[in-house]
Amino acid sequence: MSDKMQESLSALLDDEANEMELQRLVSRLGDDPALRQTWVRYNLVRAALSGQHPAHPGLDISARVRESISSTPAGPALGKRLLQPLANLAVAASVTAVVVFGGQQLAGIDSDNYSGQAVAGSVSPVGMVNSLGATSVQASYGTSSLPVLQPTTGTAYQELARQRLQKYMQEHAEHAALNSPSGLVPFARVPTIQE
Amino acid sequence: MRAIAHRLLRAGFYLVPGILLSLLVARAGASACPEDDREALAWLDKMSRSLNQVSYHGVVTFQRGDDLQAMQISHTVADGLASERLVELTGQGAEVLRIDHPLECIHPGHRLLRLGAELQTDECGLADYYRFRVSDGELVAGRRAVQVLIEPRDMYRFGYLMELDRETGLLLKSQILGRGGKVLEKFQFASLSFTQDGATPAEAQLVHRAQHPHPAPELDTDTVPLGWNVKWLPTGFTLTDLPPGASQRRTYTDGLAVFSVFLEQLSQDIRPGEGVVRTGGTTSYTRGMHLAGRPVLVTVIGEVPLNTARMVADSIVEGH
Repeated sequence: MSDKMQESLSALLDDEANEMELQRLVSRLGDDPALRQTWVRYNLVRAALSGQHPAHPGLDISARVRESISSTPAGPALGKRLLQPLANLAVAASVTAVVVFGGQQLAGIDSDNYSGQAVAGSVSPVGMVNSLGATSVQASYGTSSLPVLQPTTGTAYQELARQRLQKYMQEHAEHAALNSPSGLVPFARVPTIQE
Repeated sequence: MRAIAHRLLRAGFYLVPGILLSLLVARAGASACPEDDREALAWLDKMSRSLNQVSYHGVVTFQRGDDLQAMQISHTVADGLASERLVELTGQGAEVLRIDHPLECIHPGHRLLRLGAELQTDECGLADYYRFRVSDGELVAGRRAVQVLIEPRDMYRFGYLMELDRETGLLLKSQILGRGGKVLEKFQFASLSFTQDGATPAEAQLVHRAQHPHPAPELDTDTVPLGWNVKWLPTGFTLTDLPPGASQRRTYTDGLAVFSVFLEQLSQDIRPGEGVVRTGGTTSYTRGMHLAGRPVLVTVIGEVPLNTARMVADSIVEGH
């Protein structure tokens, strides 16, 4: 995989890929097995996290994505084009939003309504390991893919992440201050300093 | 390899040594740290030690996007102890104090930075996972600076552009660099003076005494504590302290970047999912998942890319 491709893939994994990088990745999916595998794994986990069934286990969706892109000469932005054909495949999972109680507790999961658990339970890792620095490799993945770039429960989890940042930032800063070269400056990152 | 080479030489294999020698030279060439890295590592070493050597006070700015904060900082070294005070001049107006931190108490982050001067010839320390470039810096707060550009060798950490005081090694300015060299956050001294007696401290609205690692796990008495472990870390990251097994937090550092992992056991089931908030160089990643059949909420907070936080959360397993 070329440096440029690594860079684009790394951007995708950090949720920072732009149109050009997505285009670059998709255009190379056909010829690069390593890239394809990461793509499949990435999308599988995103699907699991969003609480949706993989509709067609074993299906490598990237080929269909590429077809649909190359057969659509002009139209909406690539991100949208990527999502549109997939919307047809995606199970219209009735994903109820996670309820946030009292700003702290998460509950309200109706198990009848919830179908993604088995999938998510068996598939955990996301992310990609590159060959430059790391030695330990930890990655396992399932057999199917369902590209979903935005988890459906995103808003509730977004709120939860925001609350956790508030709750834990100071404790993180305590340790960052002892272990990084700028003294107490990491405390400047704490939204509201508590006594 | 070397031992074998010696044995072979002693045994009188005169044909082989030439090949072996060239192999050894090639190997040494491949593993040696570039000259620039040595110079950079020596500067980082000096930077870390400067906190134990000089007293100073000044005003620091901290910028993330459009948000600009100003702080008054004073740092005093005397009688084997360092004391530090930060008073926010903007926003909340809080004060953070660390009084009488023993100089011999060196935390892992600084230990990693101080490896520089003591590295064996075949070790590169931070240079194993960062690439460095040292050049002349501009003036920062009226001080002549050395610029150290630090780029990650893998995709698991950010880059840094640091300016150190040429005379003392003190970190005068630091920027966290994301993909494509984008500045995620920046702190720098606006004014600085190296004297014991600080300026009159600004009035604070609230005073917080910075903590020292403490073995006090916060346990929820209703639930049996779940032992957990992080199975994957990017190269070079090490625990900052040794929290007890049941602790809900672990913090890791590679000497420059720091991230913490928090685990909460939930009393009710949770739909697996993830949420992300990014502010400046900080990523806060929260993930609902199951550990040993129990619903947990994992949060990774730190100055690392999202993919790193995600992979760390993925690697959490039950057990000690």
